[in-house]
Amino acid sequence: MLFNSLGFIVFLLIVLAFYYTPLLNWNNKKRMLLLASYIFYGLWNPPLVILLWLSTMVDWIAGNKLSREEDPRRRKMWLMFSMVVNLGFLFFFKYRDFMVDNFTAVVNSYGYGYQSQPMDILLPMGISFYTFQTMSYTIDMYKRDGEPAKTFLDFALYVTFFPQLVAGPIVRAKDLVSQFYEEKRATTNQFIWGLFLLSIGLFQKVVLADTLLADNSDAVFSAKSSLHFLDAWAGTLAFSGQIFFDFAGYSTCAIGLALMLGFFMTENFKYPYASLGFSDFWTRWHITLSSWLRDYVYIPMGGNRHGILKTYAFLMITMLVGGLWHGAAWTFIVWGGLHGAYLILERLQRRYLPFKITAKNGIFLALTTYGCVNFTWVFFRAKDFHSAWNMIKSMLFLNPGGEKVLGTFDIIKIFILIGIMLLCHWFMRNTSLKEVSLKLSPWVLGVVWAAMIFLIAIAQGSGEQFIYFQF
Amino acid sequence: MKLKKSLIIALVLFITGIGAWEIYWRSKGYFPNLDDDKYLWAKTREKVEKATENDVVLVGSSRVLFDIQLDVWEKKTGVRPIQLANPGASPLPVFHDLVENTDFKGTVIVGVTPPLFFSTTFPQAPPWSRAFAKVQFYEDRTYAQRFNYSLSVPLQNTFAFVSADEEEWYDDINLKALLNTIQLDNRIPVMPPFYRFQEIDIDRNVRMKDRMVTDTAFAGTVKTVWKAFMSGEMPPPDKEGTMAFFLKDAEKFKARGGKIILLRCPSSGFFRDLENKGFPRKDFWDLLVERAKVPAYHFEDYEQLQNLNIPEWSHLSAESADTFTEEFLNILQKDGIIKNLKIK
Repeated sequence: MLFNSLGFIVFLLIVLAFYYTPLLNWNNKKRMLLLASYIFYGLWNPPLVILLWLSTMVDWIAGNKLSREEDPRRRKMWLMFSMVVNLGFLFFFKYRDFMVDNFTAVVNSYGYGYQSQPMDILLPMGISFYTFQTMSYTIDMYKRDGEPAKTFLDFALYVTFFPQLVAGPIVRAKDLVSQFYEEKRATTNQFIWGLFLLSIGLFQKVVLADTLLADNSDAVFSAKSSLHFLDAWAGTLAFSGQIFFDFAGYSTCAIGLALMLGFFMTENFKYPYASLGFSDFWTRWHITLSSWLRDYVYIPMGGNRHGILKTYAFLMITMLVGGLWHGAAWTFIVWGGLHGAYLILERLQRRYLPFKITAKNGIFLALTTYGCVNFTWVFFRAKDFHSAWNMIKSMLFLNPGGEKVLGTFDIIKIFILIGIMLLCHWFMRNTSLKEVSLKLSPWVLGVVWAAMIFLIAIAQGSGEQFIYFQF
Repeated sequence: MKLKKSLIIALVLFITGIGAWEIYWRSKGYFPNLDDDKYLWAKTREKVEKATENDVVLVGSSRVLFDIQLDVWEKKTGVRPIQLANPGASPLPVFHDLVENTDFKGTVIVGVTPPLFFSTTFPQAPPWSRAFAKVQFYEDRTYAQRFNYSLSVPLQNTFAFVSADEEEWYDDINLKALLNTIQLDNRIPVMPPFYRFQEIDIDRNVRMKDRMVTDTAFAGTVKTVWKAFMSGEMPPPDKEGTMAFFLKDAEKFKARGGKIILLRCPSSGFFRDLENKGFPRKDFWDLLVERAKVPAYHFEDYEQLQNLNIPEWSHLSAESADTFTEEFLNILQKDGIIKNLKIK
């Protein structure tokens, strides 16, 4: 089920009605939330709920064993059990065809006429998100970092909680499970603020991403010939905005929905396009994934404890894993690799060419960071290397006489919208929406809110999926 | 933070704003109507699952959609046909779906618009992909999408401002369509405005707007679009490929007891000339009829199917579509191909 759909409005009203009815006790409310979460997921493809159940069962059993078991060998075995099952599902559904295709290409490069049969398996929505979330629980239990969930119901709800089930934020058990122990009830202000966040999230998705940017980005990235440099840049900038508004919009909706039920969730985006460098970018973009990769890939590999060269290697491996997490294609791996290279170059600059960031060079640094990030988006969005390389050449003025695919108004619209987005990120980089809202008069907030829902209503949209559902 | 006050202000302003928006568009002549989209097509396709031998399914391009009027058909035969034709699309993917994915063995009327029927079997080519996308959506749609659609129909039937047709008409009034009407000194060629010139109901019965008959300038805008569409380089037709594809399905369908009727709907002016030159009757239609060995009706062969009003050279006016349907049924009934189920 999609947040930007009529069905979800009805679903949410029913859930809220049951949640706030005095007839149900806390345990029954949690059971209702769990059932609602399965319905939320199952309305997309009912049989795939079984995967959620299996993942929940495996990590509940493994987590419990790990919390009690003292024998290191057995502990390692339970951890492996959880990893094999979770990563096995992920591999089978997401990476199987990719691996087989690459195997075939390698084998055939030696002259064998091997032909693989792609299975074209349906990718379960949000499998990468909930797999990483449940795995974090088992790994934490292995590291004895945090308490095991008190009941199966609490754990199952942690895995399946509908606001963040299919596209994050990837929440750690210690941050969410404990919130299920005591009865939660949003205060009036929390509820209204949650509703406001839901409105902002939907505005980002329906109006900014889908209505104002998606078509232009699609037109550019589906072009069959080399593009004019203005079109290449406009399309890439449009995609940078689209993916931010799409994904940050989902996270904002999720945080808002959880708050309407009285639960708090970690922020997932902090105005990333005003980042002053790439390590800053990764503390602001998809924060819950980057912290997951830091805590469960980079640090366990050795982090920065084994000298400079190994640190850089670990950094690169972590970013490549991050790229692969996004999709089973070499373009995603290159996207991760580029970010890894940026992070390494930034560390080298800090080591050999350090400088103090001031207000003036800060703007330059932010724009440079944003520009470099845009080059990575080309690989993220392009359907193959040929298209990506063509796009990069157009952006670097290397395709003279390239095709024009965007109209004058579209180009002006993209540059104005992206300009406004960058200004917002810049002025918001050291504050938060809540802080700014506190300073606004209720009238201004009300008018802005009304304008957003009015634009959502007249944009209507076609109820398209969020981009990150495919990951 | 006075959030309650902000919420009340937002709600009051939103309701006032959206109310004013609705009144504004109604004052401009808009009224609530359904969108012809993949959801409506899929809902109609569902009906085939329960269809009997007495049922009739219509497949084809937009001419079958405009020219066969379901109310007239139902009145004359007691059966309301299932309308699965798609504008700008080949009928082959839909017919293939009926043959391969259903047990239906009633009557299928296949509309033959030569430039589309004989166009291609290449999956990415628009005449194929436009129809196949709907077949695919029917197979893949989720329960959530079905639920959403059942909620959206009452809204579409209540509010004029709810308009998001898949064709993305120039006069749609959603935010994206309104922005698309802004044309600055343009750096790329722009298609002439394509206005919605028909209405559709929940059974996918399409009727041309009366304005197409009364306002020749409005009809002229559609003619301009047709000329723009046909001005580009068109790939050559794949006569043998499309015919072989259809005949294979037709044989399978006939073998299980299904009836096929081929129908060539009227066209005039620019389209007629283009079809006569590019798709001569003897080389295309006559050959198809000869090979398919099924009842076939070409408007040129029946006086009563000619001299009808075709305001934009391709589709019949609502009134003419009523006449065409009635006369076509008279012919079918005279030939004993379609029975009137109201007469026991």
